[in-house]
Amino acid sequence: MTRIQRDNIAYILILVFCVVMLIWLIPNFTPPYPGYGASPALVPNVSVGIMMAMSILALLKNLLAAYAGKQVPPEESEFPDDAQTGGFTQVGRIKLFHLLSFIVPCGLLVVGINTIGYLPAAFLFMLVIQYIIGSKKLIQPFVVSLSAVALMYIIMRYGFGVPIPGPQLF
Amino acid sequence: MEMIIAGLLDSLAPNSLMFVFLGVAIGVTIGAIPGINGPMAIALFIPVTYYMSALTAIGFLVGLNKGAFFGGAISAVLLRTPGTPEAAATAWDGYPLTQQGKGEKALRMAFYSSVAGDFISTAVLIGIAAPLATVALFMGPAEVFALISLALTVIAGIGTNSISRGLIAAAFGLLVGMVGTEPVTALPRLTFDIYQLGSGLKLIPVAIGLLAFSEILIQLEKFTVKGGGEQAANVFSAKREDRLLSWKEFSASARTLIRGSTIGIFVGAMPGLGAPVASFMSYDQAQKRSKHPEKFGTGELEGIGASEAANSAVVGASLIPLFVLGIPGNLAVAMLMGAFMIHGMQPGPLMFQENARLMYGVYGSLIVASFFLLIIGRLGLRVFCKAVEIPAVILYPVVVFTCIMGSYLGQSSMFDVVIMLIFGVIGYFMRKFDFSYVAFLIGFILVPEWERALQQVVIISQYDTFLFFRRPVAVGLIGLTFFVIARTFWGSLKGKK
Repeated sequence: MTRIQRDNIAYILILVFCVVMLIWLIPNFTPPYPGYGASPALVPNVSVGIMMAMSILALLKNLLAAYAGKQVPPEESEFPDDAQTGGFTQVGRIKLFHLLSFIVPCGLLVVGINTIGYLPAAFLFMLVIQYIIGSKKLIQPFVVSLSAVALMYIIMRYGFGVPIPGPQLF
Repeated sequence: MEMIIAGLLDSLAPNSLMFVFLGVAIGVTIGAIPGINGPMAIALFIPVTYYMSALTAIGFLVGLNKGAFFGGAISAVLLRTPGTPEAAATAWDGYPLTQQGKGEKALRMAFYSSVAGDFISTAVLIGIAAPLATVALFMGPAEVFALISLALTVIAGIGTNSISRGLIAAAFGLLVGMVGTEPVTALPRLTFDIYQLGSGLKLIPVAIGLLAFSEILIQLEKFTVKGGGEQAANVFSAKREDRLLSWKEFSASARTLIRGSTIGIFVGAMPGLGAPVASFMSYDQAQKRSKHPEKFGTGELEGIGASEAANSAVVGASLIPLFVLGIPGNLAVAMLMGAFMIHGMQPGPLMFQENARLMYGVYGSLIVASFFLLIIGRLGLRVFCKAVEIPAVILYPVVVFTCIMGSYLGQSSMFDVVIMLIFGVIGYFMRKFDFSYVAFLIGFILVPEWERALQQVVIISQYDTFLFFRRPVAVGLIGLTFFVIARTFWGSLKGKK
């Protein structure tokens, strides 16, 4: 899949999102017009309208360029090797497995903190993340996990007085 | 005159000096941690100031705020995970320099620019605060609406190669910012019956997700998928010229620093806008006026200077509307306003009459805080630079963990962690698809004020149909907005951008 094709899919998905917003979500989850001022739906509708208009324009531009057989510059049509454009975004291929390998443990941490408590969940999370990143040592991950979790516990509980879920250490 | 001298002497008392020093030191440290910013630090430390005198308390909190502004640049430069949203633009050029082994040089540029912007804005606050605030006094909802519209348009062009993608991102930011309670009806809007969304999405989890967590996901991808190619922990160059910042290098950016400070002072004095807007606007202007704009984003010292001078200049200037009008210009100043009230003072023009000695004491503390920032930053730079020598297998898990717990800290809510993760994934896809997360974030930050101004304009217009057309400043700003849009589109048609 080329970058242009992927961008077109993104624009189509944005269009679908806008249609769903305009037809279903904004009318059903916005308060009714109170009789004065601007309608509560005005600004959401304008925002979605801008997104929709820009997506249609971009799609049209790509389609017309393809129809006219116009040569697209390589930097706009191919994925850069370094996955970097001007230091702002990192245009590149999506590494879905990589993404999931980090997001899933993070999601499990949220569930873990709520069920078994902060200390065991955060400790296990730190071990897992270090293993995924590629830590091959035995002692270091334990030390890092223990230190980070304990330090954060002390800062949160005694520094900021924030309630920590689960059993308290001391 | 006696009042001025007495106030300034109060600020030089050992107790005041010690707490201002502590405030700056804690602020720099906290600002460097992703997820903890100046306003949050002030909120957390306000209870500590209950037992201090009014001047010591305000001096401590002002020092905390100043320190946090510079601290935000440290993680932005070394890790590309800005400690504060306004430091995001600093990361664009600071981090590439770190990758080249010039992290210490980038930090020095950020530090000296920050101090320069801070000194200039403090001087303006003390010297010509009142006239500037008087201009802001005449800004009605029409002008605020027009000014924010202009800011959104300018920002949409930053951070992407496509203005259409920038506008989509900004509009998406507006949409996400509207989740919560609608200002006129006070009823939930776009909350999808999720009660936690009733008060809207908070900036901290959204900003951590978009700026920090998504960046870490990308960095981890490079580290793990590409076999550990690049990592945040770069070894600094052994060359002296790569580490130190020469006077020639610093002075070459003098015009940018003055321009950035001016933008920061102007934006800071305008209620509703904040340091991120100043930082991005200054960066944008520096890039447009540069002889080599293509170098921006790849490690240009001028880019760091533009961002840091502007966002630090906001600190002093944002106190102008508070001191003169009693209006908090941004979140940090709103927190300071709370601290003033805790100590029995109502910020506003009357403060100069009722608490003149204290006010000059606060001015003195502001100057002292600037000097302490200079000392602490100067002595601590090498220590901060050492932080990036931590191995990636240790650093990345700790940063991920800090992002998660930083999101939790705001409201002690795991829901905020979920929001942070969602926006981390959104940020990952935005970066990969070249949509500007900067435009998104600015849209998200500005939408409440923008919508409030719009509502006020509409309500007033029911009695005065031609309200907008009788406000020349508003008409001028809207005209400028259309001009910026037309010029950007024309530029893209001509292939300039």
